[in-house]
Amino acid sequence: MTDAAVLPPRPAARSTRLVRGLFGSPLNVLLTLLVAWAVWSLAAPLLRWAVFDAVVLPANPAACRDVSGACWSFVAAKSGQILFGIYPIEERWRPMLVCAVLLALLGWSLRPAAWRPSLAIVWVVALPGVLMLMFGGFGGLSFVATTMWGGLPVTLILTVTAIGGAFPLAMLLALGRRSWLPAIRTLCVLFIELTRALPLLSILFIASIMLPLLLPEALLPDKFFRALIALLLFAAAYLAEVIRGGLQAMPRGQYEAAEALGLGYWRTQRHVILPQAIAIVIPSLTSTIIVMIKNTSLVMVVGLFDLISSGRAALADPEWSSPALETYAFIAAIYFALCFGFGRFAQALESRSKDSS
Amino acid sequence: MTAPTAAAPPRAQSASRGAIAIQSGALALVAAALALVAVTTASNLQLRGIPVGFEFLNDRSGFKIADTVIPFVPDHSYLRAILVAIANTLFLSALVCIAATVLGAALGVARLSTNPLVAALAAIWVEAVRNTPPLLLLIFLYAFWGQVMPAEAPREVAPGVLASIRGLAVPKLSLGLPPLALLAAVALSAGLYLTASLAARRAARAGRRAPYRSAALAAIGVAWLGAALAPGAGFELPLVEGDKIVGGARLTPEFATALFGLTVYTAGFVAEIVRSGIQSVPRGQWEAGRALGLRERQILRLVVAPQMLRVIIPPMTSQYINTVKNSTLAIAVGYSEFMTVMGTVINRTNHAIEGTLIIVLVYTAINLALSGVLNLYNRKVQLVGRA
Repeated sequence: MTDAAVLPPRPAARSTRLVRGLFGSPLNVLLTLLVAWAVWSLAAPLLRWAVFDAVVLPANPAACRDVSGACWSFVAAKSGQILFGIYPIEERWRPMLVCAVLLALLGWSLRPAAWRPSLAIVWVVALPGVLMLMFGGFGGLSFVATTMWGGLPVTLILTVTAIGGAFPLAMLLALGRRSWLPAIRTLCVLFIELTRALPLLSILFIASIMLPLLLPEALLPDKFFRALIALLLFAAAYLAEVIRGGLQAMPRGQYEAAEALGLGYWRTQRHVILPQAIAIVIPSLTSTIIVMIKNTSLVMVVGLFDLISSGRAALADPEWSSPALETYAFIAAIYFALCFGFGRFAQALESRSKDSS
Repeated sequence: MTAPTAAAPPRAQSASRGAIAIQSGALALVAAALALVAVTTASNLQLRGIPVGFEFLNDRSGFKIADTVIPFVPDHSYLRAILVAIANTLFLSALVCIAATVLGAALGVARLSTNPLVAALAAIWVEAVRNTPPLLLLIFLYAFWGQVMPAEAPREVAPGVLASIRGLAVPKLSLGLPPLALLAAVALSAGLYLTASLAARRAARAGRRAPYRSAALAAIGVAWLGAALAPGAGFELPLVEGDKIVGGARLTPEFATALFGLTVYTAGFVAEIVRSGIQSVPRGQWEAGRALGLRERQILRLVVAPQMLRVIIPPMTSQYINTVKNSTLAIAVGYSEFMTVMGTVINRTNHAIEGTLIIVLVYTAINLALSGVLNLYNRKVQLVGRA
């Protein structure tokens, strides 16, 4: 920390700074050598395993016999199954299209410029549309039950539908928690705090064992929608707290100005308060969405085929020597690309809106 | 928007007719939903012939729990099984919190290092764990353990740490004391230190400087060192005899991967909290301290650290609570934490409603207790700067 405090008053050239950082003081020389040694002793075997001794093609089980490194052939051969589960192969263009649409929808909606009433209509049309495309059973498309869904589309549908459905609920919960009506406030606080006290895994578990008891059989959703409901309620509680943070940052003058204009409660919230409050909390909104993307991996525990469990299912093929590490690394790379890409995209949006204002 | 005067929305007349109508409408809706749920549940239970009640907790459990902090055998009751599971969850979470705090603080400082190599390495760590699911990390580590660890003869992976496919053996510090005496000794030490620091604060308020705190620390240290050196006590190193491990403390692969994975994951988040805490103190504070003639260590302790803690403590509180919640992920590698055992209990007894109630109560209680204690500490820290 003292290092940070004695930085030169004017930033030096990049290369000078680099050299000074690496070798500028005895401590830095020591750190550089220590880290370089640690990285080398870890990275060398890793590189040997992942690159030099590894095999990528041909993508068949024979290729991986007598190979000491990674068996990427397996990933190459099974990537379709890992990404799309047991969805019929000839119909795979449907989950592919669904993935593209959902990612585009999520990115599009993050921009404040898109926050118009038409956005709600886009969501209301897109989400059932995506589900219908997955289900099929109309216009010549074959019907595919949720038990056949798997991999990336499951992850994305769960994430985007849960967040999209949770968002309006979260706005109501956040407003309700700050309402001056005691009954509404108590209900909202109870829901938010109880949901936040429980781990998501226990909520998924409770949803899967309790809903069959709590609901009449006619109303009982299948396993997929049970998990979706659990994720949606969970996301709503967390998003509500993020939005509440934005509401609390609104200066009183905004309310007073709206009142002076003669706006009622709902019109004040819709036109004055919420747009500004949500714009403030976009960074925390982004990190909540990233957490939700990661959270969907938990549906594996209640028996849904998300990326991890379809990877596991692929590993069960007895023809191959079950290269688990390679498969998990591939899935980790997909998650990383999704979350990191999404985070960077949101950051770019934010810095652009800062520049323009 | 620049004014920090956050305010509650203006109150309308709270007794207006509309307000009453909205609230009674909402309450009626919730009540109706609950009533529907209650009626269907009752009929569903009757249909399946499931009895309701907590008597089953006293029945013989009849199942094994692999890895427990408190002893457990199948002859013990379900109640004991649940308590054992809670102890397991708390044990795992506590170790993860401690290890991740130490590791995360180092990582947070490393991210701000002037050495680009150190900073880049820390950044890679943080970005990797923030952008991949912790569940995947645990599953990966567990698979890694199975592939890399030797099946027969244990290997020494670090000084005094032996690893094989059956688990990890680490040095054990044994004091030759029964667990209760050990607990009492820890409590006594903590009490002594607290008394000393209270006395020191009183002395400071009276304008005297009294080294009570250092004296207490020295006394406690000497006492523990004496206990550790006493006959029948000391470090017990695990040793290899043939292809077996003798001595030391054992960790199962399940516990070891859960502990390691969750620590690596949580440390990434702690690092970001610590980094933002460090960055929240402007450089001018250091310069001002120097201008007053304070030494660097004094500036850190008296000027910078109190301001840093004010920023760090609230997010750390929620990070600790998150850690307890994340410990449920250990289910994926088969460590018997609370949810794993509750799943077994509910499966064996069919008491889903009672089980759910227990789950909700236990997590809510842990949450409230933890946030209560940490909020007390937070209040103390917040007052330091503003009294």
